[in-house]
Amino acid sequence: MKKFSALILCLILCFSYAPLSFAEETVLKVYNWQDYIDEGKDDDGAKISDSVMELWEKDYLSRTGKKVRVQYDTFETNETMLNTLRTGRSDYDLVCPSDYIIQKMISATEKGNDENIAIEKFDISAMPNYTKNVSPYISELFEKNGWTEYSVAYMWGTVGFLYNPETVLREDISTWDFFWNTDYRNRMTCKDVSRDAYVIGSLYVHRDELRKANKKYKKGEISAEELQKIVNTAANDTTAENIANVEIALSDMKRNIYGFEVDSGKTDIVSGKIHANLAWSGDAVYAMDLAEEEDGKELEFVIPNEGSTIYFDGWVMPKGANVELAQDFVDFLCRPEIAVMNMDYIGYTSAIAGDEIFDLVCENYEEEDGEYEYDLSYFFNGTLSEDKYTDGKAIIRTNTFGRQLTTQYPSTEEVARCGIMEDFGDRNEAVLEMWSKVKSNNITAFSYVMMAFLALVAVFMLTSSIKKKLKKKKRMRR
Amino acid sequence: MQKNNIFSRKTLALPYAVFMILFVVIPLFLIVMYAFTDADGKFTFDNFRTFFSGGHNINTLMFSIFIGMANTALCLLLGYPAAYILAKKEMGFGKATVLLFVMPMWINFVLRTAATRDLLFAMGISGGEHPYFATMIGMVYNYLPFVILPLYTSMTKMNLSLIEASYDLGANKVQTFFKTVLPMTMPGIASAATMVFMPTMSSFVISDVMGERKISLIGNSIQLYFDQGLWNLGSLVALIMLIIMAFGALCADSEGESDARGGLW
Repeated sequence: MKKFSALILCLILCFSYAPLSFAEETVLKVYNWQDYIDEGKDDDGAKISDSVMELWEKDYLSRTGKKVRVQYDTFETNETMLNTLRTGRSDYDLVCPSDYIIQKMISATEKGNDENIAIEKFDISAMPNYTKNVSPYISELFEKNGWTEYSVAYMWGTVGFLYNPETVLREDISTWDFFWNTDYRNRMTCKDVSRDAYVIGSLYVHRDELRKANKKYKKGEISAEELQKIVNTAANDTTAENIANVEIALSDMKRNIYGFEVDSGKTDIVSGKIHANLAWSGDAVYAMDLAEEEDGKELEFVIPNEGSTIYFDGWVMPKGANVELAQDFVDFLCRPEIAVMNMDYIGYTSAIAGDEIFDLVCENYEEEDGEYEYDLSYFFNGTLSEDKYTDGKAIIRTNTFGRQLTTQYPSTEEVARCGIMEDFGDRNEAVLEMWSKVKSNNITAFSYVMMAFLALVAVFMLTSSIKKKLKKKKRMRR
Repeated sequence: MQKNNIFSRKTLALPYAVFMILFVVIPLFLIVMYAFTDADGKFTFDNFRTFFSGGHNINTLMFSIFIGMANTALCLLLGYPAAYILAKKEMGFGKATVLLFVMPMWINFVLRTAATRDLLFAMGISGGEHPYFATMIGMVYNYLPFVILPLYTSMTKMNLSLIEASYDLGANKVQTFFKTVLPMTMPGIASAATMVFMPTMSSFVISDVMGERKISLIGNSIQLYFDQGLWNLGSLVALIMLIIMAFGALCADSEGESDARGGLW
């Protein structure tokens, strides 16, 4: 009997390893955000075409004659992803975290103090599609922050308000004051994400100084870079004093807004439950498309005047990854035609520029009779072929502002007033504590009453149980 | 019986014992261990200090206990008469009606809560404007079946002759109810209360969805800390909640006498 079961076990083992050993198939393990790549499915989840992963597998086979397979997993928040890596038991070759997490991972790698989230370096010279097609704006941003070696940009966007122009005035919502504007009480939602909420609170606290800086920039007294620096400092100010101020500001905000949300904002604004919400530009584009399809509603997006933040998600390779294969996959994603596929599918803006992307933008948004020349040179310069430029500029003719085009590709002035959310480092816990204070219920008096009540109940129960015991004893004596 | 019989009690209990150790005992041990250590694994009481020095944490704790008690009281108030009517055979409500009351339990509660949110909004009670009220409605709606079922069971097991005796001895309806029906259904009430109070306290999805995330229960605190990778602080909050629950279970146990129970607990 024992021998027989051992035999079966052996057989099972043989069969389960057979495909691996015969075909010599290598596996690339990718860990990405949910709905963040073209998976070749329609709205109902039915498969209609090859996913980007399958296209790469075929492409790799035809180029090298080697078989590869992508194991594709998804996460919902940066923190979940980080927790997975921190177990030390995952063996992903590629992960796609956001800006501040990339920063955290780089610092962990350089300091060597948290090896589970340490990452490998990219060899960009082996990635021709990336070097050729990446937008100069993104590569400059990466260079400036020292991320070039460790990460390759994937998608990017801005943080702003998505709103219904029929019920919300553009001038009211063009400032962070909107969240504190009692005329719109209970009509807008904020993200239930401590970091995003903190940055907004901090920008609001620094609003006067930011407005002055923006005025100076418009007059030409300070450069875009200087303005960005001012916004950056304001957004990432984690001094104890600022945290206290932000706490007061956010607590006031909580009383004025409809609520916090993580994912329901998109659909709630389409259904009309709320009239404005804090949104990432990619989500905003998605909601605009949805609102148009469902009932012809035209939602708009705005980056408040005081300034905001730019976010991006980039690929990193955790230590021990199959560097060669991972680089090949990322470089494949940097092919313009693949970037177009992904952009079309998820609605976010790719970090890749180039002819195909520019054509896509023109095809989607250019208006023949457009009176305004929307200049996107900062993003496309140097990546387009000669005939795409108008007077040396990458220009799209348009009449509409605040819609998909300007949401996906903010203007040069808007980009100038956007900083970057940084890793709060060892101040993270203080910010989190502040956030949990904001989120908790402000009911100190009530909680004293409650404590007194509980104490009474405890005393009552104690006495009654003692009485019961005494009774029992009496009965026993009888 | 042979000693090494495959169907002996010992071997039959083995699968569940393994399950218990893996998924109940070890995690419990881990919670206690994490609650008393810092991020580097050193023994510390700092988590306690952090938790109790923040007044907001105590507010959240008190509020959770309050919501739990209020929900238990409301569910009992609504569920007791319902169960009573259902259990009375002469009223003509069959098992099918019981099914109607229990059926909402079969639909996943996240979906049910999301639907309730939209329904309330359509009725003019938006979670944004009335977060506490909307949360309370969501809680009662979700936990009502858990009250009706144990009450119904204990009521069908009631000794009807005792009620008749009470009438014969000259008690009126109110006296009969308080002197015979209520004591006889006490085990059902106790088990219903435990089934509502504890899950209510620790729930966070219902308050998130119904209160538009403006309300924090103790479950929300745990989730926030765990989500941010602060395992130690989160474990401490979980431990505190476990202690409160154990206390609640003890209270319920002393109410429902162990030999005469008809509940699920």
